[in-house]
Amino acid sequence: MELSERNIENLYQFTRDHFVEYYDLQTELVDHLANDIEAIWEQEPNLSFVNAREKAFKKFGVYGFSDVVIHRERAMTKRYFKYLWRELKIWFSLPKIIITLALSICFYTLLVSQFSEYFIYIFYGILAVWCTYKSFMLNRNFKKKSKASKQKWLLEDLIFKQAGGFGMVLIYYNINLLNSTTPLHQTKYLVIVISVLLSVTCLLAYISLELIPKKSEELLEETYPEYHLQTT
Amino acid sequence: MGNAKLYKGSLSTIILKLLNEHEKMYGYEITQKVKEITKGELKITEGALYPSLHKLEAEGLLEVEVLKVDNRLRKYYKLTEQGTQETVNKLEELERYIKTMRALVNPEFRFD
Repeated sequence: MELSERNIENLYQFTRDHFVEYYDLQTELVDHLANDIEAIWEQEPNLSFVNAREKAFKKFGVYGFSDVVIHRERAMTKRYFKYLWRELKIWFSLPKIIITLALSICFYTLLVSQFSEYFIYIFYGILAVWCTYKSFMLNRNFKKKSKASKQKWLLEDLIFKQAGGFGMVLIYYNINLLNSTTPLHQTKYLVIVISVLLSVTCLLAYISLELIPKKSEELLEETYPEYHLQTT
Repeated sequence: MGNAKLYKGSLSTIILKLLNEHEKMYGYEITQKVKEITKGELKITEGALYPSLHKLEAEGLLEVEVLKVDNRLRKYYKLTEQGTQETVNKLEELERYIKTMRALVNPEFRFD
């Protein structure tokens, strides 16, 4: 016996009721439950849909879907960082490496100058303001988009909601690094390393808050074959 | 099943091996196939299967294809090129492990 459209809708609601927020995971779990319910019905044809659903759900163990959700989030975060790394690598190969080098030289010049302390404050100030502004805008746009669409995608959530936090973490670690390595003018090689790190910080902030959100549709299609099926 | 812990470390290898033999498979199909091959001795739990599949996918060893089957969407997993290579490595690792265990539990067994 096959499940009806209504049963499938009920299973989607069931996954949502059990804290599976994201459509990609809901779809996979719905198909799994549906297959199992159909197999259960072959053995016990008189069992109601709700009872068969409960029987199938029990096989996920005492934690229900939560283990699957946690691991899915971890796996997708890994994938997000893979995309980030892929974009970052482009800035260390021709022709974009020229921009990265120019940026590093610029930072080096400012760090060895008499204005180095002012520069650091201004640099982090601008970066923090920009990251906050971009995070706010991305969040706002994401909320609007989420309202318009019924489906939530985990990668989209990472791209639009988590990226801002990532920018702040970067700034925090950079400030810690600089606090522990002053005075700068005494160690030439250290200044070179810090100049490159500042460039990487700028690039990562730019990639995570500007570039990847702009490419989000492309990345979502690459990650979820079903994304196209749902948005067309 | 009391020996579930013994199998747990080999779950990724089991999945890769199955996908190496079949062009593409979906989650439920994998659980049923393992049950069928092992005559019920090994039952892959849902709570262990999907995390493993998602991890392998994130590592680039598996790719997915989604098809509409009946009145629902079905996510199929396939090996990538990297996944095919990794299957060979993982199976060799597992073979070595089995040999070692055999030598430990059966002193008459000798390595070649």
